[in-house]
Amino acid sequence: MSAFKRKRGGQGAVGKKAKKAKVVADRDGAPSETEQGTKNEVTVPAPVSSGKWTNKERVLIFSSRGINFRTRHLMQDLRTMMPHSKADTKMDRKDKLFVVNEVCEIKNCNKCLFFEAKKKQDLYMWIANSPHGPSAKFLVQNIHTLAELKMTGNCLKGSRPLLSFDPKFDKEPQFALLKELFIQTFSTPHYHPKSQPFVDHVYTFTIADNRIWFRNYQIIEEDASLVEIGPRFVLNLIKVFQGSFGGPTLYENPDFKSPNMHRREIRIAAAARVREKQMVKEMQKMKRTEAKQDLSKDITADVFLTPAPEKPVHIETEAPEPRFSNKNKRKAMKRQRQRR
Amino acid sequence: MVVDSGTMEPAEEQQQEQEEEEEEEEEEMLGLDSEENSEMSDDELQEAFASGLLKPGMNVLVDQPKKHVNNVEGMKQCLADFRKDLPWVERLVLTNPPAEDVLSQAEGKVPKPANGDVNADDDFQREMFFYRQAQATVLEALPLLSKHGIATKRPEDYFAEMAKSDQHMQKIRKKLISKQMILEKSEKAKKLREQRKFGKKVQVEVIQKRQKEKKAMMTAVKRYQKGMTDKLEFLEGDKKQPGKDSAQGSKKAAAKKGPNAKRKFKDQKFGFGGKKSGKKWNTKESFNDVSSFRAKVANAKGGKKGKGGKQNKRPGKSVRKKMKGRS
Repeated sequence: MSAFKRKRGGQGAVGKKAKKAKVVADRDGAPSETEQGTKNEVTVPAPVSSGKWTNKERVLIFSSRGINFRTRHLMQDLRTMMPHSKADTKMDRKDKLFVVNEVCEIKNCNKCLFFEAKKKQDLYMWIANSPHGPSAKFLVQNIHTLAELKMTGNCLKGSRPLLSFDPKFDKEPQFALLKELFIQTFSTPHYHPKSQPFVDHVYTFTIADNRIWFRNYQIIEEDASLVEIGPRFVLNLIKVFQGSFGGPTLYENPDFKSPNMHRREIRIAAAARVREKQMVKEMQKMKRTEAKQDLSKDITADVFLTPAPEKPVHIETEAPEPRFSNKNKRKAMKRQRQRR
Repeated sequence: MVVDSGTMEPAEEQQQEQEEEEEEEEEEMLGLDSEENSEMSDDELQEAFASGLLKPGMNVLVDQPKKHVNNVEGMKQCLADFRKDLPWVERLVLTNPPAEDVLSQAEGKVPKPANGDVNADDDFQREMFFYRQAQATVLEALPLLSKHGIATKRPEDYFAEMAKSDQHMQKIRKKLISKQMILEKSEKAKKLREQRKFGKKVQVEVIQKRQKEKKAMMTAVKRYQKGMTDKLEFLEGDKKQPGKDSAQGSKKAAAKKGPNAKRKFKDQKFGFGGKKSGKKWNTKESFNDVSSFRAKVANAKGGKKGKGGKQNKRPGKSVRKKMKGRS
């Protein structure tokens, strides 16, 4: 049996076709189930048959030390989704980056996805074509893993994905280069021994707000109804290098602001606000204790002073005549009548 | 900086003083940059000023704006070296803009931005954009795949390991179900609350109606007891359907007339702040106002026989006693 298993294609494949074993998902943990999974009552071509696998792409996915649980899960998810990937142990931070190239060579991989965590907060991702090719460094944000309960889709483990790109990728040279890099890294080769023969999910790469957004959808129906599987993340391009993990810089993103600078700016803004408030308070204090102007005399008081015109002085020598008031008119009449 | 004027030649003295002043000014005004300036010695500054490199006034050291590498040629070259020309089947790549948004067009909602750029901050729109892009790809790719003989539909009995385990999918299902249950429960609670309010209203109305009926019955009974009416028709009050209708009809007509006379009088007397005291009474308008003239009352010469017999006139004491004795 083991001899059969070691062979890829040839007699082994022909013999396997005749079997009709069905494997129930997840009861057995052995990874070899995926190979047998292609046999069923409907005749489906075996993934590997007499050397059809020509596109030999292998991706090495690993990370540096100091990553948090979300990054670790993201890495595991990517390894699950890509059957042409290989894992490796964590790399020590004190090794220089070009050591990664050597690790890739040892593992016989020609592509690499390397996750680097700094300050236990920021995650950087390197994507590189190992021996000579270009490489790029990104800042990864907004990570959501496969395990989130809001992502309700599911797909075969190791099925080949459709890749969907935004037309904006063709407009700029750096994006065109990145597009080629993504295609070669993320697309599972045809007839890969660990791949499934059905195409049931699609990756989308879109450019928005000068960042690259990655989504993974499951194809449910033929009329293109989709459900998100995950994972999802956002890549913010920092630099593109000509060599693998080094070499001359081909492109630098002018809009990129390092997360440190961002945090620093926020802190400075907060400090400036506090300082301004303090200054305002001090000014108010000073004003209060200042010598105040003497406002007892209003200098504008005599603006509306209009003295009355002088009247001639009239001295009365005789007493005024008594006037009869109307009040006692009736009584006066009554008295008169009574007198009569 | 101390200038020893004694040692200086008088001809150069002024120029030197000027220079020192300029440098002092510079050093004062530059403030932060004075440290950098102190790298250049005073002699150098003097020379630079003399040769015209430093102009009078404020001189500030400024960084050159950072140049970002954009090696277009290099990138194109790199791409040309790097790309692999493989048949489409190997890579399954498609580039397309998002598909038409049928739903929002049908609703006549927000028009897409003209340049096709999606607003990254509007979460819903952004996700719909990605979704539609994927949809467009799928719609284009499915016929191509079938042409190349690659299946997309998994047969029913094909069991293989999935990216997410069955356990996980069950958890997801449970969560969805619980969400739905919560929604349903809240809907039910809302409906119940509405019903209760409505039910309360109906209950109050029914009670009021019953009280009214009771009151009417009691007054009718009392009247009979006191001998005002000798008809017992109030006992069969419920069965009088057409009568009831007419009564209701008259009730409606009464309601139509608006507030009754008492209400009207009170409104007149006290409404809108009441009658203004000292207001003229015998004005032209009040004299000409003949609305309170009742021709019948004015022209009636007789007494109160206009009603025609006693309908509800209360009988005298002796008659009442007799009636009481009888019953």
